[in-house]
Amino acid sequence: MTIRNTLQDHGQRYRPRMACLKKSEKVLLEMQDPKTGLKSQPQRLVITTIPHAITGEDIIAWLADRLQVDTQEARSFGSMLVALGYIYPLQDHKRLVIKPDASLYRFQTPYFWPTQQWPVEDTDYAIYLAKRNIRKKGILEMHEQEHYNRLHKWMNHKWDFIVMQAKEQYRAAKERKKPDRVVFDCQERAYWVVHRPPPGTVSAMDYGLDRQIDPNSDEAVTPDFYERIMIFTQQSIMRPRVKSSVSIGALVKYCATYNNHDPFLSNCLPSNPWITDDVTFWTLNMPCVEIPTKMRVERWTFSFAELLSDTRGRDDFRLFLKKEFSGENLAFWEACEDLKWGKAASIKEKAEHIYKTFLARGAPRWINIDGKTMEVTVKGLKHPHRYVLDPAQTHIYMLMKKDSYGRYQKSPVFKDTVKKAICPDEHRFSGAQLEQNSKKRRPSLSPIILRQMEQEQRAKMAANIDITQLCRFTTPVPHLAVYSGFTDYSHCHRLTLPHLPGPHPGLSVPHQRGPGQHLGV
Amino acid sequence: MPLINNKVGDDGTVGKDKALVDGKALVDSLIKVVACYRVLATCVGGCTDSLQLRDELRQTREKAQRLAMAIRSHLTSHLRDKSLPEEQRKEMEILWVGFSSSLELLHVDMCKVFNMGDIFSLSKKETRVQNGLQGGGSEVAARALSVPDLNQPQSTSLPAEFESHERSTMEKDISQLDHMIDDMEMKVNVLRWMVDPHGPQYPDPLSSTDSASLLSVDEEQPGHQPLHQRRKLFVLLLLVAVVLVVATLSICIVFFS
Repeated sequence: MTIRNTLQDHGQRYRPRMACLKKSEKVLLEMQDPKTGLKSQPQRLVITTIPHAITGEDIIAWLADRLQVDTQEARSFGSMLVALGYIYPLQDHKRLVIKPDASLYRFQTPYFWPTQQWPVEDTDYAIYLAKRNIRKKGILEMHEQEHYNRLHKWMNHKWDFIVMQAKEQYRAAKERKKPDRVVFDCQERAYWVVHRPPPGTVSAMDYGLDRQIDPNSDEAVTPDFYERIMIFTQQSIMRPRVKSSVSIGALVKYCATYNNHDPFLSNCLPSNPWITDDVTFWTLNMPCVEIPTKMRVERWTFSFAELLSDTRGRDDFRLFLKKEFSGENLAFWEACEDLKWGKAASIKEKAEHIYKTFLARGAPRWINIDGKTMEVTVKGLKHPHRYVLDPAQTHIYMLMKKDSYGRYQKSPVFKDTVKKAICPDEHRFSGAQLEQNSKKRRPSLSPIILRQMEQEQRAKMAANIDITQLCRFTTPVPHLAVYSGFTDYSHCHRLTLPHLPGPHPGLSVPHQRGPGQHLGV
Repeated sequence: MPLINNKVGDDGTVGKDKALVDGKALVDSLIKVVACYRVLATCVGGCTDSLQLRDELRQTREKAQRLAMAIRSHLTSHLRDKSLPEEQRKEMEILWVGFSSSLELLHVDMCKVFNMGDIFSLSKKETRVQNGLQGGGSEVAARALSVPDLNQPQSTSLPAEFESHERSTMEKDISQLDHMIDDMEMKVNVLRWMVDPHGPQYPDPLSSTDSASLLSVDEEQPGHQPLHQRRKLFVLLLLVAVVLVVATLSICIVFFS
């Protein structure tokens, strides 16, 4: 559904976010002005001198002056120009930043300017790598070698052409004088550092996926087009509204609560893997880790949903409920989730199993929901579908949230977990260590393996169901030798026949299922 | 190719072999011209951009197009010939792949030069990027056109005239090239994944001393530049001192003997 602005989107092409290119070009052309532009100096090499080298501090000073900004901002803008490839450094060519000292830079020739109109071709990259190999065998770096081999595999049919073209370009470039040759080599190398960045760096020209359609082009006006507009506007009218004070307040509260837990907004301990390439953070926060981190445990106290959505939190909660003998609530909730998100073919079977285990009169893990909901659910189970257990699930969820959750947070189980939770120290990596980390990057466990592990765990849990958690309305299962905590055996005896009525629908049964409690029947 | 009716062995294939050799020569020269065009195109918009450079680009481009036309007729006629033996067909297909790839490169380069000509118009002298080049591309153009020297009389036409004329021709040529590429795909069906090239994965190195050494010396040790110069100075002083000592010794010897 596209409702577009009636104002035309100036400057944006349909590969978005690259309007900076046209603007950078303007600034760059201004820098060339002989009167008001940058002053250049010749670069002295061993044998020859090459003109038009500019120093980093000159660039920053000129930008600060022309754009009327402070030095820090001029520096970031300058770094952006270098990262995009309009200016390239002459020393340390792999680090595309502006250094505010006398280090030298040069302008890139317009042929190698970044553009979105003509995508960067792998053929050209293969030719470039072949050319470098022609010049000196074995000069290619590791990642370039890997690229070369991969391109040789995928573009094998063109390989004769690529080798020939590389030789011809090499010979053609040799016709020129030495300083021009050096300049051309620098230019080409800088171009490929931008577009095929070495490992551990990101290309500034990486703008994400291309959009399939051009949002500035006119859409064909058909009855369908108007129909979509009508549906869209009707839905916007029907949408429930909230006062902005309320919604803004909620947003502010959310931001304040989660600010310290966001790994990009605040320091994440031990270190952010996306920045330092060190995966300790992820291993410490795995779903089935023994000892959780302090931050994770703190997140469990924010809301019940947080506790349940975190696997480790759910395990902890399950342990607590086991001690309280109300584990069936969570088990029912999990079974409902499984039904909702599982395969369509298994819905009938799962629904039956849930009914037998949780809802039927005399079920082994009978849950306590009010009569109306029970009625609706049982009726719905005659023709089960994915959302048939939604009312019951919501009821149980609210039950757990209002009651068990509060008690969980005061329980010894939770207090123990909080005490044992670890708080890792912050990593402090030097530059060399960061490079090493980036070389040691490895892919994580395959999702297939993760899914298998998950299924094994689930099977283990299913096998370990504590059917000792019986409620007083359960029919005694003869082969089980263990009954826990019932003092009144005669009570249970009376309920041997399965079709005897269970508790009265209208009565609200207390949730605490301790051993000695009696119902007022 | 006229059939050579001969009693001797496989002279029937001599004609076909000649076609292959011809085709290879043509494709090789097209590759050469395209490479030169690319090297010239990198100068556009820079400080050495001039009417002369644009003229050289035009000449190179025209030569490339002439070659392309020739190769197209040559290869299409042979590849559509059903009686071509298998190995010859394979060779032709390799040539075909080389030809179409060169055309693609040429097309992109022409589009880029066309676009850059827009931004860096010859009449507006101030907007030139100082990219560090000093010489023009005359030698490269000479190589492309296969003449030993490019002694051009200075073009007498005005830049503006030349430019507008050039733009319209280029537009036509680009669209023509576009059509040619499409046309080729329609007429001749070459399965690219079946093409098996001969060449090695790594091209042989052609020369050892080059700008690579210059680059590596200057570049990889940025801090050593002043040190290098200081070291040179030191060595020079040492030599001067040695020469002086030798001179004084010889004078002493002469004096005392």
